[in-house]
Amino acid sequence: MATTRKTRGESLLLRYLVLGGWALVCLLPILWFLSVGFRPRTEVITPKPIYWPTFSLDAWHLLMSDWPIALYLRNSVIAVAGSVIIDLVLAIPAAFALARYDFRGREDIGFYILSTRMMAPAIVAVPIFFLFKTLGLLDSVWALMLIYAAINLSLVTWIIRSYMLDIPKELEDAARTDGAGDLTILREIIVPACLPGIITAAVIAAIFAINEFLFTLLIASTSDAYTMSVALANFTGGSDGIIYNAIALVSFIAFVPILILVILIQKHLSRGLTMGAVKG
Amino acid sequence: MASIHLQNIEKKYGAFVGVQNMSLEIADEEFLVLLGPSGCGKTTTMRMIAGLEVPTDGQIVIGGEVVTDIDARDRDVAMVFQGYALYPNMSIYENIRFPLRMRGIPASEHDARIRRAADMVELGAYLDRKPGALSGGQRQRAALARAVVRQPQVFLMDEPLSNLDAKLRQSMRVQIKHMQRQLRVTTVYVTHDQIEAMTLADRIVIMNKGAIQQVGSPDEIYSDPANTFVAGFIGSPPMNLIDGVAQDGHFVAPGVSVACPAHVRGKVTLGVRPEDCSVGGESAQGMVYGVEPTGDVTYLTVLAGTKKIEVKAARAYRSDIDVPVGITFNPAHLYFFDDQGQRIRGAA
Repeated sequence: MATTRKTRGESLLLRYLVLGGWALVCLLPILWFLSVGFRPRTEVITPKPIYWPTFSLDAWHLLMSDWPIALYLRNSVIAVAGSVIIDLVLAIPAAFALARYDFRGREDIGFYILSTRMMAPAIVAVPIFFLFKTLGLLDSVWALMLIYAAINLSLVTWIIRSYMLDIPKELEDAARTDGAGDLTILREIIVPACLPGIITAAVIAAIFAINEFLFTLLIASTSDAYTMSVALANFTGGSDGIIYNAIALVSFIAFVPILILVILIQKHLSRGLTMGAVKG
Repeated sequence: MASIHLQNIEKKYGAFVGVQNMSLEIADEEFLVLLGPSGCGKTTTMRMIAGLEVPTDGQIVIGGEVVTDIDARDRDVAMVFQGYALYPNMSIYENIRFPLRMRGIPASEHDARIRRAADMVELGAYLDRKPGALSGGQRQRAALARAVVRQPQVFLMDEPLSNLDAKLRQSMRVQIKHMQRQLRVTTVYVTHDQIEAMTLADRIVIMNKGAIQQVGSPDEIYSDPANTFVAGFIGSPPMNLIDGVAQDGHFVAPGVSVACPAHVRGKVTLGVRPEDCSVGGESAQGMVYGVEPTGDVTYLTVLAGTKKIEVKAARAYRSDIDVPVGITFNPAHLYFFDDQGQRIRGAA
C-alpha cells in the first residue's frame, strides 16, 4: 500500500501542474495578442510558422500617431464611471426598500426590475434610438452613461438587495432603538455592512458597461462618443488594409482597465461572490 | 426611570394571534422577566414595548406617556439582543457611542460616558477592537455597555445570554443583575431559561400561546403554581405531574395512592416536586428506571405504572435498575389540578 501512495511533494507538484495548465489556458488569448501586437506587420501575416518572433513597436507607433486612443479611453471612463455612480445612487435605496420594507406589490416590483434584464436588447434598440434622437442626445457620452446605467440598474439592485437580505434584522432593530432613522440606518449600518456586495455589483456593472456594444454602436456615430469597445470594432488599420498587430495591441489596451479593476477589488470580489451563499 | 403599563395589548399576524389581550403593570426600577417556551409571545411583547412592533390593539404607557404610536427611535428604551447586534463596521468605542450620537448628546460628554459604560462591563481595554475580534461574552458585554451608556428609562433584554456557554451565562447573569440594581433602571428581560428567570427576576411573567399564565415573584411561581403549565415549566427537574382519579379523599393513579383533600374529586392531576419525594414508603410503588448522581445530589427516576417519577434522593443513593422501590410524597407539598389543568385551591 505504502509504495503506491503519493508523497506530499508529489501531490503538491501535481496540483501546481494542473493549476499552471489551467492558468495557461486562461492566459493564452492575452499572451497571444501581446505577442502579435509587438511584432512587425509582415511577420504577423506570413503563413510560415515563426519560432523566434522579432520585437517591434510598429503597431504602437501607428496607434499613437493615427488613432485618438486617449479620447476613446476618456469616453469609456466617463460613460462607465458615471453609469456606475448613477446605478449605485438609485440601486442602494431601491434595494433597501425591496429588502426591508413591507409594502403591497413588493415582490412584483422586484420581479419587474429584474425582468428588464430578460429582454433581448435588440428589441428596444430602435425605440431607444428614436428616444435619444428626440432628446438630442445622439453621439454623446452622456447618452451612453444613461444607457449603461439603465442596462445595469436591475442587476445592481438585485445583487445589493441579496446582500442586504443577509444582514441580520437585529442590527436594524438595534439602530432603531438606539435612535437612528431610516436614512441613518441605511448610511451608517446597512451600506458599510454590505460594502463587499456593493463593490461586487459596481465592478460587475462596470465590466458590462465597458463591454457594451450594441447601444454604443447605435448612439455613438463619431469618435466624439466612441468608447473602446466600438472603436475597437471599427478599427481595421485605416486605408492600409487590416493591420492585425495594431488590432491586437488595441485589444490589449481595451483589456487593461478591466484587469486593473479586477485586481484592485479581487479580495472583495471573491468574498462578495460567495458571501451570499454561506453566512460568515 | 419609568413604570410601564400594558393595557389590553394584542398582536395578530393575519389569523395567528401572537399576543392576546395582555395587561401588565411593571413598576419603576423593577426587574421583570418574561418566561415561556419559544413562540409564546414573550419576544413579541418585548418588541411592542420597544416600538419595533405595533400592537394590533391596546395601549402601551411608559413613564406616564402613551407611546403606542411612537416610533422606536423616539422612545427612551434601550434593547440588548440575542445575537448582540453590534455594528460590525464600527469599533467597540463607536458602537457604544452610536446611541449618544443618535440622541444628540453633546460630543463633549461622549468620551467620559463611553469609558464609564465600558468599565462597568470590564471592556475598557477593548474599545479599539472591532466586534469580530471579540469573544461571545465580550460582545454581549459590549452590547450591554451600548445599552447603558445613554441611561435610558427602560432596558429590554431579549435572551441576551442564550448564545453563551453555561459557565459564562452564570457570570453574566450576576453581572446583569448587579448592573440593574446599581443603575436602578426598569428592566424587562425575555428568556426561555427558567434558571435565568428565577435568579434574575423581581417578578416573573410566565407566558404560553400568547397569554399570561401567571405573574408572581420567583417564590410564588415556584411554590404556588397556578396551573400545570407553570408547574411543569418551573423547576429542574420539573414537577412530577401524575394523572389519576380522586374520590373520597383519596387520589389513585397506576402505582400511586395518596390522601387528598375531600373537595378534590374526579379526574385530576397530582403535582409533586422531586425534592418533596423521598425514597422508601408507600405513596408510590415502582421500579428503578435510572439513577443520576450529580455530585451534590442524586436524581432517581422511578417507573410507577407507565409514569416516570423524578425523585431527589440522598447524594449517596445508588441502585441497580429494575429494582422495586417505594416513594413517599411530602403531604404538605402536594398540588392538585383539575382536568383543565387549573389548580384546585381551598375547600369547594
